[in-house]
Amino acid sequence: MSRLDSFIRRMSAQRLLLNAAAAHVADIDGPIIDLGIGAGRTFDHLCALFPDRDVFAFDTHLQSALTVLPPPERMVVGDIRQTLPFALPRLGARAALIHNDLGSADPVGNTALAHWLAPAILAVAQPNAIVVTSFLLPFESAVSLPLPEGVRPGRYHMQQLTV
Amino acid sequence: MERRVSRLDVFIARMQAQKAFLEDVAGRIAGIDGPVLELGLGNGRTFDHLREILPEREIFVFDRSVTAHPASIPDGEHMIIGEIRDTLAFCAPRVKRLAALVHCDLGSGDPTADLAKCAWLSPMVAERTAPGGFVATGIALEMDGFVEEPRSADAIKGNYRLYRKAG
Repeated sequence: MSRLDSFIRRMSAQRLLLNAAAAHVADIDGPIIDLGIGAGRTFDHLCALFPDRDVFAFDTHLQSALTVLPPPERMVVGDIRQTLPFALPRLGARAALIHNDLGSADPVGNTALAHWLAPAILAVAQPNAIVVTSFLLPFESAVSLPLPEGVRPGRYHMQQLTV
Repeated sequence: MERRVSRLDVFIARMQAQKAFLEDVAGRIAGIDGPVLELGLGNGRTFDHLREILPEREIFVFDRSVTAHPASIPDGEHMIIGEIRDTLAFCAPRVKRLAALVHCDLGSGDPTADLAKCAWLSPMVAERTAPGGFVATGIALEMDGFVEEPRSADAIKGNYRLYRKAG
């Protein structure tokens, strides 16, 4: 399998998982957070899934396509490690869903990232928030939710906080 | 609940179409001698796919810098580093033969930037393509002596054009 094949599968898995997450958060109030806006595709998908909620994007700088620029009040620009723990006044309410696509294919780098990211998410998330993430986050109180059909185990994770 | 089509939906459909399109093109160059030129390495995903579906082909990759995933970086002999506008014109001693396929994934998404690219890129690509060889490109090129092939459904969805040099 080429890296192109793998990439197509990963993006398809991401979409399946976000669609499934949308059903899970139906009963959880709060805005949606996209960590790492990149080209803005996932951000746009979240906006399509949640037309009645505020979707916030976080990134060190804005690099998305011109057609999916978030409104300035919902684009938090800066080092996410710094901004996320202090974002609650901007969010207005604790987040119902957090999508994390930070990190890389390097597990050591991801472990280091997860170490500061998990508490930063806790600072702004609902006690029962859903977290969709490309690598498991070490929350003290959380459960892993089953993956939708078509997502290979280990490629993506859906966690729910149980704080 | 009915939801609108997102850019993620469009992107996934485009990647699937690109893959199918490239596999079709790989079949078409079967009888044509010469290497493949990959213009733009980027993340290296397309290069990785080309070398998987064309295992017997020599593939030369051009880019201004190497930013690919470590698993898909060509060896030093086949990675030509520099501005493509400069290197393509001087690559003959390294590449030697004319190409059976030039794959160009240099589109910027900005129509004016793509027009400018078409102006300098077209003659360089035309010169490096073997008679009977193909040029698969994300931006329209204007090359004398080439015919644009009918666009398949995958080509349209993948935003590709395919040209063939007379020969």
